[in-house]
Amino acid sequence: MTTIAMPNIPFRYPAPIEREIEQLATLFAQTPALTDYPARWLAIQALEGDEALLAEIEAGGDSRVKAALAASLERLRAVYGDEIDIVMVDQRYRFVHDIAIRAVTRPATPPATLSDRIDRIVTHRWLGIPIFLVVMWLVFKLTTDVAAPFVDWLDRVLSGPVSRWVSGLLHLVGAGGGWFEALLIDGVLAGVGGVLAFVPVLLTLYFALALLEDSGYMARAAFVMDRVMRLFGLHGKSFLPMIVGFGCSVPAIYATRTLDSRRDRILTGLLVPFMSCSARLPVYVLITMIFFPQYAGHVIFALYLIGIATAVGVGALLRGLLFRQQPATPFVLELPPYRLPAPGNIWRQMWERTSAFVRKAGTIILTASIVVWLLLAIPVGGEGQFANTPVEQSAFAGLARATTPVFAPLGFGNWESSGALVTGLIAKEVVVGTLTQVYTGGEAAADDTAAMTLSEDLVLIVGDFGAAVGEALRALVGMVGFEIGAALEEPVTTGLAAAIQVGLATSSNGHGELAALAFLVFVLLYTPCVATLAASRHEFGLRWMLVSLVGQFVIAWLAALLVFQGGLALGIRLPL
Amino acid sequence: MLYQILAILEQAEEPLSLDELSRRLHVEPGALNEMIAFWVRKGRLRDSAVVGCGEKAGCSCNANPQGCPFRHNGPRLITLCD
Repeated sequence: MTTIAMPNIPFRYPAPIEREIEQLATLFAQTPALTDYPARWLAIQALEGDEALLAEIEAGGDSRVKAALAASLERLRAVYGDEIDIVMVDQRYRFVHDIAIRAVTRPATPPATLSDRIDRIVTHRWLGIPIFLVVMWLVFKLTTDVAAPFVDWLDRVLSGPVSRWVSGLLHLVGAGGGWFEALLIDGVLAGVGGVLAFVPVLLTLYFALALLEDSGYMARAAFVMDRVMRLFGLHGKSFLPMIVGFGCSVPAIYATRTLDSRRDRILTGLLVPFMSCSARLPVYVLITMIFFPQYAGHVIFALYLIGIATAVGVGALLRGLLFRQQPATPFVLELPPYRLPAPGNIWRQMWERTSAFVRKAGTIILTASIVVWLLLAIPVGGEGQFANTPVEQSAFAGLARATTPVFAPLGFGNWESSGALVTGLIAKEVVVGTLTQVYTGGEAAADDTAAMTLSEDLVLIVGDFGAAVGEALRALVGMVGFEIGAALEEPVTTGLAAAIQVGLATSSNGHGELAALAFLVFVLLYTPCVATLAASRHEFGLRWMLVSLVGQFVIAWLAALLVFQGGLALGIRLPL
Repeated sequence: MLYQILAILEQAEEPLSLDELSRRLHVEPGALNEMIAFWVRKGRLRDSAVVGCGEKAGCSCNANPQGCPFRHNGPRLITLCD
């Protein structure tokens, strides 16, 4: 049997601490009530503030012991200027570290893992930002190009066969032809269905975000963005809640809790709503596919960049004006190793987030759609009757007209757009629902294939879906540089698209595209939804919530004004 | 050793990864995590993995009792406390 002789390396605290330990140990050894414990060990525990043992010392020791302990602690604090337990723990770590350094042989340069090698490029000082931008561009190209055919398909299904089935069913039970049918088809199906048609877009976005999160890239994005943020005097760590804001502003507001100071939390909370949340995406897709079909992905990507740039710019301004003398503090970030995303995780995230959106459609958006329908059904002036009045003579139009002067300088001062923006304060997706309701009016069910049978409808749905899959695949291949088949991004030519085009062209004196761009910028930046405002009030108080409410509206108004009036002044014709 | 962590953080010009900090201190990541946990207990460092959403953070609601689906399991962030 071999015996290994272990080197004897005694551990000693620095002299001032050892002196105090010895004094206390001697005293404890002379105290009968404390002799159950090894005296040196008890002295160390007492100096480190072990509460249970201190209670025993308090109970068993006399006043001499208590006074000696207090005096020891006082003397050591004077020497080290810090809590003594920290000093002692630090000494033990030093001791262990010294042994490890002497005993463990490590390679001079640790072998680089695959994650290390990827990080050398992805978090590179100069390459990191361009790579981040390319990743974002790919996300939004995927979101628009690949999802668009499915949006069209779902829209056709909801406005065609589903509307016909609902109408047919109502006639079957003798409830057709009246206001109830109008409510279901023009209110619920047009409003909620108009929003639900964008589920494929959100599914694709959530897929892309889940891919980035699960692969470990999102952590690197915050790491990389720190440099940009610091250029403007902001904290890189503020970018983490902002990344959450790409999904939804509400959890992003709560995510500011991970920041240290209240000022940082407020500042970041004010910037989070500038990050374009997923609820705005249906509005972008609708408008860009109508006005900029060939550049939809680029326009949406640009909108997200404008959101980030505005957040950074406003942040720098606020830090200069309201949050001075707040030096940026460095941080340590745990960069998880890169890994292949797990399909189960991806699916779970897509499912949870999309089902939250669908639930929202069944509650908030449904309620908003019914309220909008009611306001559209109530006649004010004219000869119309309830649920049978021209939309321009409805209560909704009357109310919306009161807000049009605010939006007129921005190029979208028509009551339809103004009314949609106001309802968008409830939830941003409601903008799409309202536009669908006010523009399609009573025409939602009026389909030119009204005479189709159920089996013909089913064949049409399946056939259309096949065509959508084909288009999406072509778009996917097109993203990597191969164009297959016909051009994918053709202008949307539905009644809704034509009506929105005419509406914005009229309100902007023939500069519909410029007005559409200003409208998109306004939607990107304007007052967050009520849920976000409530979260903001909960976290930062009423005053900062009002700053967010008013401030964002003003910023959005000015930005949209700059786009529209600036574009007019420069004679810009879109698409370029 | 413990004080070196705070010193490196105070002097850092840009964010550090946990691996980088581990390399600078010549300490295994496991041991470094213990040291960070000690500083978090002493209130000198803040660890997002410990802070999390916090109580009453609104991470769950009636619509999402299991927690907000948009809650991002972001990277762990360690910062100096004021």
